[in-house]
Amino acid sequence: MNGYIRNPRLPKVLSVNHEMKRGIKASIPVVLSFIPFALLFGTQATQKDLSHLEIPLITGLNFGGGSEFAAISVWTSTPQFWLIVGISVLVNIRHVLMGAVFAPYMQHVSKRKALVLLFFMCDESWAMALADAKKRQAFSISITYYISLALCLYSTWVIFTTVGSFIGKWLGNIERFGFDMAFTAVFLVLVKGMWSGMKKNYCWAVSLLVACLVAHYVSGAWYVLAGTSVGLIAAWFGAGRNA
Amino acid sequence: MLEWSHLIIILGMAITTYLTRIIGFLLLRNRQLSPRTQFVLDNIAGCVMLSIIAPVFVSGEPATLIGLVVTIMAAIRFSLLPTVLIGVIVTGLGRYMLGA
Repeated sequence: MNGYIRNPRLPKVLSVNHEMKRGIKASIPVVLSFIPFALLFGTQATQKDLSHLEIPLITGLNFGGGSEFAAISVWTSTPQFWLIVGISVLVNIRHVLMGAVFAPYMQHVSKRKALVLLFFMCDESWAMALADAKKRQAFSISITYYISLALCLYSTWVIFTTVGSFIGKWLGNIERFGFDMAFTAVFLVLVKGMWSGMKKNYCWAVSLLVACLVAHYVSGAWYVLAGTSVGLIAAWFGAGRNA
Repeated sequence: MLEWSHLIIILGMAITTYLTRIIGFLLLRNRQLSPRTQFVLDNIAGCVMLSIIAPVFVSGEPATLIGLVVTIMAAIRFSLLPTVLIGVIVTGLGRYMLGA
């Protein structure tokens, strides 16, 4: 599980112990930022009648916060399989690009090992492992650093979403107190994190506008599909000037 | 504790999400995407997330709309925790005072 470095001036093999400590240490600020998201997710999911067993199952098997919040937002008493899975895929489609970027940095591990490591790839573990490799001027990520960091994030996410599910049960019906706004707040904060200016993300405004119109005039969850697709069409046609 | 219909969705999400994680690694590692495709892919998550919260913008409920405006301003300035607290408190107080 060593990360080999191709820079000849640096040691060939990284110490497992040292890399593990480094990974865990680097994860701390991100772990702290995960906790409120996780508690909130557990609380919100309980409101949609997901059980204490289903919540760690969804966060442990899926491990993608954005897609999980998105799934819960359209979850009804008779949840729609294709709607929920479809929305989850759309939110997670960025992983395809991330995996492609990761590939050349993982050439030193076997394919089977890489496929296990990729299960734990989230925005944060991906970005931090890459940033670390670039900082060390290495051509490959440090696997021990990456996996210890990723496992800290993973266990935080699963544990605290479960804790949140118990808080949710205890709070009861919280919508009337304004807790439903927490949901909107999560998405706004996530979107702000991805925002790179009107020039690059103008299509988000298009999506929001179209989704608002459809949500107002059409019943059901069509606004998600309509908003997303019109926004992406706008992105496709405007890409020539911006990409 | 575990509902059949829920389990199917959870597994569906788990499988598709894992696929998104490995497809790029397996298929695209030696290929160059066109800048246009890359631009569209980059923008999907934002388009979906903003579409999801659209109903709040057209709720027509004064307390919710006031809460929304304050939450947006908070989100621009602060991290998650303060944004959530501000959003929830302002919306809750608004509903209490406006009797919604």
